Amino acid sequence: MADAPQGAETGAAVDLLQQVRATIDDRLPGALAGDDGSRPEPALLVAVDRLVEVCRLLKEDPALEFRLPLHVTAVDWLTREPRFDLVYELRSLKLKGRVRLKVRLADTAPAGGGVYADVAAPTMAEMPVLPSVSGVWPGMACHEREVFDLFGIRFEGHPDMRRILMPSDWEGHPLRKDYVSFGEPVKFTDRGSFAPDSAVPRGAPD
Amino acid sequence: MSELETLVSEHDVSGAAQVASAPYAEGLHHVADTPDGPLMELNMGPQHPSTHGVLRLVLRVEGEVVRYCDPDIGYLHTGFEKDFERVTYHQCTPFTDRMDYLSPLGNNLGYALTVEKLLGETVPVRAQRIRVILAELARIGSHLIWLGTHALDLGAQSAFLYGWREREKILEINEMISGVRMMTSFIRVGGLMADTPPGFEDAVREFVRYFRPRCDEYEDMLTSNPLWLDRTRGLGAVGPEKLMELGVGGPVLRAAGVAHDVRRDEPYSGYEDYDFAIPTGVHSDVYDRYLVRIQEMRESINIVEQAVARLEPGPVVIDNRKVVLPPRHELDTSMEAVIHHFKLVTEGFRPPAGELYVGVEGPRGELGYHLVSDASNKPYRLKVRAPSFSLIAAIPDMVVGGLVADVVAILGSLDFVLGDSDR
Repeated sequence: MADAPQGAETGAAVDLLQQVRATIDDRLPGALAGDDGSRPEPALLVAVDRLVEVCRLLKEDPALEFRLPLHVTAVDWLTREPRFDLVYELRSLKLKGRVRLKVRLADTAPAGGGVYADVAAPTMAEMPVLPSVSGVWPGMACHEREVFDLFGIRFEGHPDMRRILMPSDWEGHPLRKDYVSFGEPVKFTDRGSFAPDSAVPRGAPD
Repeated sequence: MSELETLVSEHDVSGAAQVASAPYAEGLHHVADTPDGPLMELNMGPQHPSTHGVLRLVLRVEGEVVRYCDPDIGYLHTGFEKDFERVTYHQCTPFTDRMDYLSPLGNNLGYALTVEKLLGETVPVRAQRIRVILAELARIGSHLIWLGTHALDLGAQSAFLYGWREREKILEINEMISGVRMMTSFIRVGGLMADTPPGFEDAVREFVRYFRPRCDEYEDMLTSNPLWLDRTRGLGAVGPEKLMELGVGGPVLRAAGVAHDVRRDEPYSGYEDYDFAIPTGVHSDVYDRYLVRIQEMRESINIVEQAVARLEPGPVVIDNRKVVLPPRHELDTSMEAVIHHFKLVTEGFRPPAGELYVGVEGPRGELGYHLVSDASNKPYRLKVRAPSFSLIAAIPDMVVGGLVADVVAILGSLDFVLGDSDR
């Protein structure tokens, strides 16, 4: 496969992103930390502490009207610092387009250094935390519960921070890259583990 | 003490003693400290037939009036998003079939478009048109199941049998092209599993001819049926602004009068070339959702008819041997084809690193895939934006304040699929 980076998107999607960026820079200077550089679709990087303001602006600005939130999810970059990306996908019916906001969130357990008491299962107090946008769009509450459930990330100001997909007494957060989903890591001579591939988290040291 | 007060005190149901003494109280108990006073807690589901799968609703009721509702999902959680991370891109396709199991081809389409956009590939025109035909047939099939089960929940048995009868014909078309009736995985990254067999176009035309009058038949049974009107009008109405805040799209949002359709707003697979209307409702109630979906089936059949009329011979996969398997006959004569075949089957392909979201209009709203690639042969993260997940989040706003019996009608009108919401 060609390793050449895909060209940036053209046309309406780029114009929309420019318009959103200009509005945020104008009304809330300093809230944006730039583009995240991802291709083929760039996202806007938002400072964690300005997230709710930015969301409220995007929803209520009469020229933007991002009234239909699609989802929020997380991406775990296990060895990167900061570890998590929180991704907000928003749709505007007025502009007939989408915008993606991204927040970078550091893990509370420093990489390579101290870890949680139990690596796979931080307690509520140990979890990385960011503000909830469920006050802006009530529909985001269930998506934030999903992120909490599957990634162990807590949302401050969320009305009902419980697990949603996994059983309430489940241990660990399955979509973290260091969560071992099955298999038993048994030492063999020629490789680190005889467990199925998925039991060896990608990004984990060899 | 007045007569009324005596009556009330004798029938006080807030004490735990009465609950313990009631032999049938398994699953019911009283919650004393709610903002609305003492209420009875009632479990609806997960084995309740009207929850269409394994949805559990924790209701708190005051007599017959619902005062609180907490949807509990996850009974069908299979961890597909974790599975995506350990299989190659082509191996993800069969998982997508099994999420929204009433519209497997629509799920395939969204996934294939996402990976193709990351690769910077566009599939040939014939493949696009066949994809549109199959996705629209899947939408009709899904709406038929909705119609049948929703009407059955409300006591109209015939619609259920009618809906199943027509859907069978769609499954026969699926079987004809792929050998499988439901989980076909026919739409794949880079095009289609194979070209359609001879007779496919005739079968689709025959279905179009057969299905149009059937829509009128459903309407004859229900649209002006006084029992149906009494049971559906004015129920579960939530305004468009609130629905959008809840992340609800698709037919439920359109029934509230918002003409939003991803096929129109962000066209894919050549939808911009087809002539179709976006039906909308006015009252946002159960009845308008019914009208919108019936009309959507008519629009879908129009799209199918246009697509099949434009079908011309041509390739159905992209010409990139690093992504799609070489034709079988080349394996006998070309060493290069054998190598491509071997590498694709054992390792898959490696798209460039990147991150993107692609949404398609599924039968129940916007189905989206958020894909993160780290340039390896497996998705680093593939998040599915499931329309049913948001629909279920909207249930409390629709049922609180109404009657328990109406919950059944409202659930039916939302048309969620638990396989979709739980993934």
